[in-house]
Amino acid sequence: MHELGIMFNVVRSVENFAKENGITVIDTLVLQIGELSPVIPRFVEACYPAAIDGTMLENTKLEIEVLPGNAICTSCDKVFNLIQCKNECPVCGSREWEVLGGREFLIKEIVAY
Amino acid sequence: MKTFKVLEIKESVFEDNNQRADLLRQELKEKKTFLLNLMSSPGSGKTTTVLRTIEALKDEMNIGILEADIDSDVDAQAVAQTGTKVIQLHTGGMCHLDAEMTRQGIEGLGIEDVDFVILENVGNLVCPAEFDTGACKNAMILSVPEGDDKPLKYPLMFSVVDVLLINKIDTIEYFDFDLEAVKERVMKLNPNIKIIPISAKTGEGLEEWANWIRNEVRKWGE
Ligand SMILES: Nc1nc2c(ncn2[C@@H]2O[C@H](COP(=O)(O)OP(=O)(O)O)[C@@H](O)[C@H]2O)c(=O)[nH]1
Ligand SMILES: [Mg+2]
Ligand SMILES: [Zn+2]
Repeated sequence: MHELGIMFNVVRSVENFAKENGITVIDTLVLQIGELSPVIPRFVEACYPAAIDGTMLENTKLEIEVLPGNAICTSCDKVFNLIQCKNECPVCGSREWEVLGGREFLIKEIVAY
Repeated sequence: MKTFKVLEIKESVFEDNNQRADLLRQELKEKKTFLLNLMSSPGSGKTTTVLRTIEALKDEMNIGILEADIDSDVDAQAVAQTGTKVIQLHTGGMCHLDAEMTRQGIEGLGIEDVDFVILENVGNLVCPAEFDTGACKNAMILSVPEGDDKPLKYPLMFSVVDVLLINKIDTIEYFDFDLEAVKERVMKLNPNIKIIPISAKTGEGLEEWANWIRNEVRKWGE
């Protein structure tokens, strides 16, 4: 599981952002995680309490938005979800496609006051 | 009453790691230190290869080692016995290293007069492939007993490395390991890769490996 180490970096980035913007209390942290990213939302949630322990985000809620892992088939141009279709174009059965999105892992925003 | 506000950050976490990695590479370039990231499954021979590499090159360059392989210091102790500078990175169960951890290791090691550093990454063929450590070049070891289908199962790792060592070549007659098939599969994923069959036990192929390093260290220091 590599989510904890990654979340330490996220927390540090958010702390820096907050300091630069004069924010002292962060209510919610919103992350966007692509279905194809090497980061698993379930694991992120599991390690979140450890990652924020003793930091500025100690009382900050976590919200995760999952972004779909979509691809476009290079044979028939069908756009489909790679996970649901098990990496195979549902129209023509081709395994040649280009990923359109779903690899991202973003700190989207914070809700602060 | 509290007034909430939403502040957009839109920062890519991996992009952040990539930037740190670039910064580290820049520093390594200025100090003329060549950092090689060595990856593989556990047990494929990273530590043995590191020890052999030290033996082959220690009279011609200053070497340093960063050990992240396991959360104990057995490997680091083996390296320290050779008289080489070594830092044990305590990764706390992490499955890969990122650029910040590598930078801390480099700082701890001190690279003022070091020409060549090997980073023995955590034994894992999945996660380390996803994270740029800031190394100048990436190498991986596939050992014969692991089987010749590994490039099919872990395509990303084989795609991101500059050089592939096929280790334990001394055992090839005991395993159904098709060396030509591996080469073909790997070249399809990564046409520019350099493939060197070696045995860290008998020393076979190590001269070619040492030459690859000599050449890279020289180019980096120019
Ligand atoms: N036969 C043979 N055994 C090897 C070779 N290289 C390493 N080994 C053995 O493989 C085991 C694991 O090696 P080690 O270097 O600790 O692997 P690491 O976990 O990748 O660092 C040890 O028992 C080594 O002696 C080789 O080229 N041939
Ligand atoms: Mg080892
Ligand atoms: Zn990982």
